[in-house]
Amino acid sequence: MAKFSKIEELEAYREYLLEKRCTEKKRVRICMTGCRAFGAQEIKDKLIEEIEASGLSKKVEVVPTGCQGFCARAPVMVIDPDDIFYQQVTPSDVKEIVSQTLVKGKLIERLLYKEPLSNKPIPHTADVPFYKEQVKIVLRRCGKIDPTRIDDYLINEGYRGFERIFKEKFSSQRVIDEIKASGLRGRGGAGFPTGLKWQFTKDSSGTPKFIICNADEGDPGAFMDRAILEGDPHSVIEGMLIAGYAIGAREGYVYVRAEYPIAVEHLKVALSQAREYGIIGENILGTGFSFNIRIKQGAGAFVCGEETALIASVEGRRGMPRPRPPFPAQSGLWGKPTCINNVETLANIPYIMLKGAKEFAKLGTRDSKGTKIFALAGKVKNTGLVEVPIGTSLRKVVFDIGGGPPAGRKFKAVQIGGPSGGCVPERYLDLPIDYDSLKKIGAIMGSGGMVVMDDNTCMVDIARFFLEFVQDESCGKCVPCRVGTKRMLEILVRITRGEGKPEDIQLLEELARVVKSASLCGLGQTAPNPVLSTLAYFKDEYRAHVEDKFCPACSCENLFVSPCQNVCPVGIDIPGYIELISQEKFSEALEVIKKRNPFPAICGRVCHHPCELKCRRGEIDEPVAINALKRFVSDYAREKIKPRVHLSTPSKKEKIAIIGSGPAGLTCAHYLARWGYSVTIFEALPATGGMLRVGIPDYRLPKSILEEEIFSSVESLGVSIKTGVKIGKDITFNELFNLGYSCIFIAVGCHVSRKLNIPGEEIKGVLDGVAFLKAINLGQHQKLGSKVVVVGGGNVAIDAARSALRLGTDEVIILYRRSPQEMPAIESEVEAAKHEGVKFHYLATPIKILSSNGKIKGLECVRMRLGGYDESGRRRPVPIPGSEFFLSADSIISAIGQMADTSFLPSSVKKTDWGTIWVNPGTLATSKEGVFAGGDAVSGPATVIEAIASGEKAAISIDRYLKGEPLERLPEVRKKYFELTDLIEVEPSPEKRVKMPCLSLKERKKGFKEIELGLSKEEALKEAKRCLRCDIEKMRGGS
Amino acid sequence: MMVSQEDKEKIDKLVEKHETDPGPLISILQEVQETFGYLPKDILIYLSRKLRISESKIWGIVTFYTQFYLEPRGKNTVRVCLGTACHVKGARKILDRLKKILGIQPGETTKDLNFSLETVRCLGTCFLAPVVMVNQDYFGKLTPDRIEKIINQYRKD
Repeated sequence: MAKFSKIEELEAYREYLLEKRCTEKKRVRICMTGCRAFGAQEIKDKLIEEIEASGLSKKVEVVPTGCQGFCARAPVMVIDPDDIFYQQVTPSDVKEIVSQTLVKGKLIERLLYKEPLSNKPIPHTADVPFYKEQVKIVLRRCGKIDPTRIDDYLINEGYRGFERIFKEKFSSQRVIDEIKASGLRGRGGAGFPTGLKWQFTKDSSGTPKFIICNADEGDPGAFMDRAILEGDPHSVIEGMLIAGYAIGAREGYVYVRAEYPIAVEHLKVALSQAREYGIIGENILGTGFSFNIRIKQGAGAFVCGEETALIASVEGRRGMPRPRPPFPAQSGLWGKPTCINNVETLANIPYIMLKGAKEFAKLGTRDSKGTKIFALAGKVKNTGLVEVPIGTSLRKVVFDIGGGPPAGRKFKAVQIGGPSGGCVPERYLDLPIDYDSLKKIGAIMGSGGMVVMDDNTCMVDIARFFLEFVQDESCGKCVPCRVGTKRMLEILVRITRGEGKPEDIQLLEELARVVKSASLCGLGQTAPNPVLSTLAYFKDEYRAHVEDKFCPACSCENLFVSPCQNVCPVGIDIPGYIELISQEKFSEALEVIKKRNPFPAICGRVCHHPCELKCRRGEIDEPVAINALKRFVSDYAREKIKPRVHLSTPSKKEKIAIIGSGPAGLTCAHYLARWGYSVTIFEALPATGGMLRVGIPDYRLPKSILEEEIFSSVESLGVSIKTGVKIGKDITFNELFNLGYSCIFIAVGCHVSRKLNIPGEEIKGVLDGVAFLKAINLGQHQKLGSKVVVVGGGNVAIDAARSALRLGTDEVIILYRRSPQEMPAIESEVEAAKHEGVKFHYLATPIKILSSNGKIKGLECVRMRLGGYDESGRRRPVPIPGSEFFLSADSIISAIGQMADTSFLPSSVKKTDWGTIWVNPGTLATSKEGVFAGGDAVSGPATVIEAIASGEKAAISIDRYLKGEPLERLPEVRKKYFELTDLIEVEPSPEKRVKMPCLSLKERKKGFKEIELGLSKEEALKEAKRCLRCDIEKMRGGS
Repeated sequence: MMVSQEDKEKIDKLVEKHETDPGPLISILQEVQETFGYLPKDILIYLSRKLRISESKIWGIVTFYTQFYLEPRGKNTVRVCLGTACHVKGARKILDRLKKILGIQPGETTKDLNFSLETVRCLGTCFLAPVVMVNQDYFGKLTPDRIEKIINQYRKD
């Protein structure tokens, strides 16, 4: 190919290419960059071979492209012109692709992307949600053209922006004015207006001037520059040419990091082709403008992304930053005026020059125009490259395009901007992303790396990770950065090891502020950002590490043995008892459970099992059915082994009174009695168990199980339970001390329903959820009519609805004001309710109860939409005006939350603003000497296992109090209780999770018989073998 | 160790290539390393004389950038990415396993000169996380067991 010496010649050549292009030909585009790691090369070779063998060479063309964006589905392939999208293709699929799709035009369903919810196949790229929501400007050619062929670039508007300058005789100033008018800001991180930077360089005295393309993409989590250089290198060259013309430079450098071999290779090819065509070099296309580009490869130093350090590195020196001013625009490379632009910035330039500033500025926000590419990675389903208009919300990027976190995991934060950025929590997900909004919340746009984090990511560990990074990459020139980050890192390491001191958090914050304000360059000035943003939004996690030696995410290795045990509120050695079950040592397994939980049969039925949510097996297929196994051993032991119950009597003289016989009170009594104290429980209701008895229906927890376990774990230890005695009515609170009790534990739970506070609530037939369940459980008859509406979304609402169904109603509807995601009820219970026929109306709330002649007719309701976030981290429901509707009902059950009745307490026992009892969270001591409180009365409505944990904590405090020891204890890291004697690693069974056998739907409606039937011995043995034994891995010291 | 005539010629050629290049030191060092596998001390001294750049300056550069090596390298270079995405997806466990099966720490080379182990800050392939690069090949979505199998494959080859 001869050099083109005139613009018209290049234009004519482009015309020729366009004409020659055969539109009949099918084009199979395969990503040959990122997808190479998944065997794209082999697929391509096979495809070419197969096409030739089928004689299709003239009809089908295979185009190796750059990144197509949807990396999560690699290797990907698109067949044009039909826009068929095949994903996760393997070499063995090639034959079929040729014979079916290319020859017969038939789709291969297994290779199509499936819509995640409906599992419906989506054949075309344009309809795949990941692509549909994007707006591609910079990436519009990436993944569509062969980056190693300049002709592909030319026929796709390539070099037309550059041509326009000369065709329309733009002066260099006019080019700069156009860029200024476009509102383009630097995509490297800080967002400085590009046009202005060009202007400064142009106006600086001194020649020659230089353009440097900063392709030292060092931010971990960002890979868009790599994709542009690999997939569309000419766009960067064209951008540099235009920039060179505008500022009056004859020479440009691309400083590219050495970790990107394919990018370097493609850039070299592109440069030599452009040189060959006369597009770079002397007197380009006869315009009189000359420009040359050299490649400089980095040698591995993150700080070289900083512009003054980068210049030092290009000059062949150590890449150390220097103070600014002078700015590179005044004194840069070799002391000459230098303009440094990022890859993505330069790739925007040709588009602006071709389409005009106005067209470009149509996208974006008032102060930030155009699009931004984000690299989506971490705990998100659709990892890959995403280009969206600036101002798009984070939610759209992470959830609509990214598909949200993997199944079963909960979104926690998204880290934006790499080591200089911050972690953005859920409540800011609706924030429009631009340079300024992100800055306000402590993050930065940075280069656009977005790493999604879920509940398994520890935010303290993330802060430590980034500090380790910057500490390692600090060039060492200035003290605040060199020493300050080191000290910060030491503190963070200490905290993540469980050796944090109480003053560490504050010290860390102070150090962060000093390093931020006193460091020399951008690296040091932004280094504390990840620490400051995690401290701002996740301080509780820091506190948990320091004060409780607890890592809620199960990430900091020193602080736990296995994730399931770590999150269990009572810390049962779960892998230990599962191991014993698999060895058929059932009594021993039960002993391991009972060490930490006196009520395994009850919990085996009603626990919300946070352990299963953290089970690592869940990341492979499904979590181990831990709770079902717990139930199995307790049932098996009771039926087959029939352990003898030893009756014992108190050995110590101190008497303790416990108010309330719910799980918290019973647990506290259990431990105190075991330690020899004389314990009396006062229960206001006629029966023991608290919410276990009157809140949870029989179909989940049969009374016989409850009674048996209360007897064996509490009464047999000599605890006396006085039912039907209400403190405050039958005996006053203060009288208890006169009766000789040295300590009192208050565990009265939350039994008072919150009011709906709407007109008509007083009408007969409007029931209170807790009272309704209580009446059923105490055997009182309930008349409901044929249609019942339950208002609320918690466990009481679900229990009430399912109970109503069993009382012979025809229709039960649950009305909940938020959406299913926000519903606090246990998910499996919601599923069971749906299965049994309970209907759910989401995003609606009652505003009035209508009646005639004292009989309920129904409810007037209003539809809601979700607004901003409230303090619970959930989105606040907002009524939609004019959306009122009527819902008929014979009975209405209100279950929108419960409160504690604390009216019997003297004023010396302080309460919180929420109406719960105030306690010291570490010791459960109330404001009155010798009085302790726990369970729901302190926490508000919570779970059984949390109440049990709180009962144990109270027992320990009471014991220490009576012995005259200080109440405060040092937290301990949870240990294994069952010591392994032999460490033979058994390969975990590949079987799927066992399904709990259940009562048929027909049987369920007949009454309150227990639904879950329990596992058989064979099922339990099989399930126990699914455990991955995270504890063994740990005890062996890492993997 | 002296620099052989043959090696001198090789180096002279590389230097010549960069005659018109302003500030060529890093590029020359990169090419010398490519030729010799690492940067032997004697060659750096020779280079210092040849380029009339002080030894201390060269030493300063060589030790500043992570990609220059002063020791012989293994036949295979194993790079474990410790970028953010890899970190949250368990890169630490992959590194722990590699340390165990290779018996070396990052930055070290096995005695048989078969493997060098390195950690890198980000390979820019976050969608593959956790990712390891062996020579020029990427291996993504790894588990400790998978990386062990991959390394065994290289052991055989």
